[in-house]
Amino acid sequence: MTADNSSVNSLGAPNPGNPTKPDPDLPLAGMRIIDFTVVFAGPYGTMQLADWGAEIIRVESTTHFASTTRGMLARPALATVQAQTNMGMGMPDSEPGERPWNRSAVFNAHGRNKLSMTVNLRTEEGQEALERLVAVSDALVENNLPQSMERQGITWERLSEINPKLIMIRMPAFGLDGPYKSYRSWGNHMEAISGHPLIRTYPDLSPEYAPAGVPSDAASGIGATLAFLMGKRYLKRTGKGLLIEAPTAENFVPLLGDFVMDYSMNGRVWTQMGNNHFYLAPHNVYRTQGEDQWVTIACRNEEQWQALCERMRHPELVNDPRFKDNESRFENRAELDVIISAWTAEKHASWIMEQLQLVGVPSGAVINERDATEDRHLEHRGFFTRVTHPEAGTHKALMTPFKSMNNPGVGPRRHSPRLGEDNEYIYKSVLGYSDEEYAEFDKKGHIGMDYDPSIP
Amino acid sequence: MSMASQQQGERQDAAVLPFSGLRVIDLTWHVAGPFGTRRLADWGADVIKIERPGVGDPGRDIPPFYEDQPGLERSGLFMYTNLGKRSMTLDLKSERGRQIVLDLVKDADVLVESFRPRVMPSLGLDYETLRAVNPRLIMTSISNYGQTGPYRDWEATEITSYAMGGAMINTGHPEREPLNFGGRVAAYQVGAVAAAATSIHLLSVEASGEGDHLDVGALPVWMGAIDRRQSYLMGYQYGGGNSTRPWPAGAIGSGTWICQDGYFMTTAGPAMFPRFMQMVGMGDLLQTPEWSTPMARSAPERLDESLAVIVPWMLERTKKEIRAECQEFGVLGGPINSFEDLHNDEQLQHTQFFQEIDHPTTGPIAYPGYHVKLHFVDGSGLPARKRAPLLGEHTDEILRDVLGRDEAEIAGLRSEGVV
Repeated sequence: MTADNSSVNSLGAPNPGNPTKPDPDLPLAGMRIIDFTVVFAGPYGTMQLADWGAEIIRVESTTHFASTTRGMLARPALATVQAQTNMGMGMPDSEPGERPWNRSAVFNAHGRNKLSMTVNLRTEEGQEALERLVAVSDALVENNLPQSMERQGITWERLSEINPKLIMIRMPAFGLDGPYKSYRSWGNHMEAISGHPLIRTYPDLSPEYAPAGVPSDAASGIGATLAFLMGKRYLKRTGKGLLIEAPTAENFVPLLGDFVMDYSMNGRVWTQMGNNHFYLAPHNVYRTQGEDQWVTIACRNEEQWQALCERMRHPELVNDPRFKDNESRFENRAELDVIISAWTAEKHASWIMEQLQLVGVPSGAVINERDATEDRHLEHRGFFTRVTHPEAGTHKALMTPFKSMNNPGVGPRRHSPRLGEDNEYIYKSVLGYSDEEYAEFDKKGHIGMDYDPSIP
Repeated sequence: MSMASQQQGERQDAAVLPFSGLRVIDLTWHVAGPFGTRRLADWGADVIKIERPGVGDPGRDIPPFYEDQPGLERSGLFMYTNLGKRSMTLDLKSERGRQIVLDLVKDADVLVESFRPRVMPSLGLDYETLRAVNPRLIMTSISNYGQTGPYRDWEATEITSYAMGGAMINTGHPEREPLNFGGRVAAYQVGAVAAAATSIHLLSVEASGEGDHLDVGALPVWMGAIDRRQSYLMGYQYGGGNSTRPWPAGAIGSGTWICQDGYFMTTAGPAMFPRFMQMVGMGDLLQTPEWSTPMARSAPERLDESLAVIVPWMLERTKKEIRAECQEFGVLGGPINSFEDLHNDEQLQHTQFFQEIDHPTTGPIAYPGYHVKLHFVDGSGLPARKRAPLLGEHTDEILRDVLGRDEAEIAGLRSEGVV
């Protein structure tokens, strides 16, 4: 591998045996990335790299189950699985199956195009296998509690000595260093600290009702994707590898940049905005016909406001002093919302959206999963494809979020890997172990497609 | 040398930055596009921002304004999303303006635009035209719905797009209306995706010499890349039905609690549940049949019993005390902070996350820092960050140094209103 030939991995050739068969024309074809990511933020970042052709090797273990990565529990009771409503955590037909860890919706969504190996890093031979993998890889990505990586011997000092061209991306919640280094957190807790739930919650309820969404997860994933490409370019420029620290908090706060700026410039502290805009009105979600059906409507200028009034058959509102300009509408937005709600209440959400878009007013139905799957725009753009998983069946799955003209139709090439599914390819073709050595790894319990029976 | 840079060691020369040597022609306005090209500028790219003569990027008119007074050089949003770029004014509708864009494209690596899909072709600047000038160009087009499809020309704001693309229906209380994202998080994410998409495809240009046209539409980005929407869609495919707005937000021990000095959020999924129970002093109950399994615990009486213990436990403690307990027991949690709390956060202070940047309007003020930290082997720090450009601040410099125009030509362009 030469410093300036970034599309060829350390073995000197694109990986011919990669079971996910990336098209050699994909931008990242030939790159190999070691993946120690868990839950969602890290896996979402490596998913982008996998989609665009990199060989992603998930390093897993049959003796350790990282909760919420391949499901909440390795062996959930049937009743627990049946009680689980969607929220991304379900399993096909609410059946745990023989190996529930291969049937988790969240894992099978972001695991596509990746490989899985199992190894026990608490052994000498396990560490030796890791060293071999580091020597033939372009990067390592992880998003664990910092000290848990360090306990397993995964440190920049050691890995960069094995492979001085390695790019290591570490995604702690708060930092590899500092008072919160060992602070346990998911995206929602990190967001709580970053100030997001407090600004988005209901203006009239206690912050106990603050929502626990996690936009930071996908945002951190994308930030890590960019970090990998930054590392590649740094390597090309200098011939050196690089440790890139990507704390999810520091990746997410920039997405709240204008709030930080308002505090810095004016000392203003925004709070409990709900669906209010900073200054626009109307700007809200309105109840429509049917159960839990809603539509959003927002006007950015006078033309849109006038078009909305005409479409609602209330042209007189345009000259109503309460609503004569945006400032007045914002001041009187509660009254305005009552009028709009009266118009939307007995109509269908997508009908309202289509009618308002026709006259140039921003409007979007608040859609659920079924609506999304049937959306005509996404359908037209080929946003969905189908993937067959050996233990989960055939289902619709998403293509990449953005499109390339040269490589149209990039998306899942292979199902998300079953635990240990690619052991043989990785141990033999990637790490160069002989059949006898592989058998020895198997005998010592490294190789497997089932978690140890002691894991609940 | 300031204290900060001493702690970080010598500052690196800008030439070592990952995107150093990369030239980006920036035809983006408002929020998403400028944030995306700024990520490239952050890491060393020379980003040439093209603005309308006299009025500039409409982002200059978006609040917050310094001291709440509007003005072309007073928007905090603009200052933040355009750090480190150069600004030149150009009338894109004039033939000479168009020619200047083509001249810039000749030696550029990337062009990013965020107009409506019809605009670039109507300006005579469609991808085929740009490719004819520079076959290695990556053109990244950012739009609300993507370059194709029936909604292509529809209107959008953050709330309407989040409704159509994100997990809004799942956010909030079941008896109340669904909730939007905070502020402009969704638009920033589109920009972040555009930066990642562009950088991925720069690698294929190096290998093949062929440029590309990338289509980054907010709706597909939100659908595929916001708030775990992707997993919800998979869950639906698996027969899990439509997601709802659940309350309480999760299992026992999950939620936001009133504490002595504010609010605190905890999560206790099945694997971590015993740790939470031990923390609040209910650990002994885990041995009893009523509490031993996740199924047994799902009875409504268990929730009530837990609240009777958890609510007073939280009320007796401060945010800081609860965090210490979470730390000790390995429980997931975090305080509900305001932006003032964020500003004073001890971790962000420790990592020197906020950066003081000077600007003629504001003087030095704190900005959010970079999205990642580069650990250079020699311990050196990043070069000092440059403020956002004033409108047209670099017009002459770019015409002269990048395009080789002489003073007379520049004066001519100016008098005709092209720049």
